Amino acid sequence: MWKWMVDFASSIAGLIARPPTIQNQHRRSDRGILVFHHTSEVIRAESLLKEAAFEVAVKGPPPELRTGCDLVIEFPLVSQLKVLSILDNARISPLKIVPMQDLLLEPVSLFHVKDFGDYLMVRAANMKMTVEKRELRIVNVSGGGCPDVPYLAENLVGRTLHEAPPPRSLGHTLCGYALQLAYEELLRRCTG
Amino acid sequence: MTDNIDARGLSCPQPVLLVLSKMKSLGSGVIDVIVDNQVGRENVSRAARSQGWVVENENQEGDDIRLTLRR
Repeated sequence: MWKWMVDFASSIAGLIARPPTIQNQHRRSDRGILVFHHTSEVIRAESLLKEAAFEVAVKGPPPELRTGCDLVIEFPLVSQLKVLSILDNARISPLKIVPMQDLLLEPVSLFHVKDFGDYLMVRAANMKMTVEKRELRIVNVSGGGCPDVPYLAENLVGRTLHEAPPPRSLGHTLCGYALQLAYEELLRRCTG
Repeated sequence: MTDNIDARGLSCPQPVLLVLSKMKSLGSGVIDVIVDNQVGRENVSRAARSQGWVVENENQEGDDIRLTLRR
């Protein structure tokens, strides 16, 4: 059963979720997890909290917190009241708020990275973006299940990461959002 | 002279990367690519156009799709 739970969590991001280590116990005690019913709430909440300069990160939930939405927001627990106030003003209600130290498993990273030699691919949730390393030119966009994926791909493939519009500016589906995360991760990895 | 790429059974982005690598080594010419799904067809076609190649022909062959790329 335990192995099944770990496999299930890793299927979200293609990464194995590991039990907390001693080294990150301290960090975990400062962080909490906001669980939402719908992905759209996660996306709105993340935008609002980032605008308010909170250090938040969207992640895949550990199995014990899965509710049907594949994303949760990790946030600083010390800011819980302010965070909830911002969300309440936007009429967003988290299903649960859980201190990370109460979790058996950490949330998993959303990113899966694969190096193809001259090319680097980042998968975020259900979307993949691949760039040619030398010029940082986007050579492929795939994944999905959303109607705007071909549109996103047409607007991104052939452009460099610096020329390309942020995917979030092109599409507002979960695929556009996931692609934005992949794009930001590629920028972070390729341009420091 | 036509170069052939069999990208059946490969998941994205591997068909595209095979095609881009071949385009880079040839510079110009004709490449026949076989893929086994519509997503692969769209991705290879898009990548080819972005590199200045033309998708000259698309043929459904059973479950497979053969693309002829030219530059």
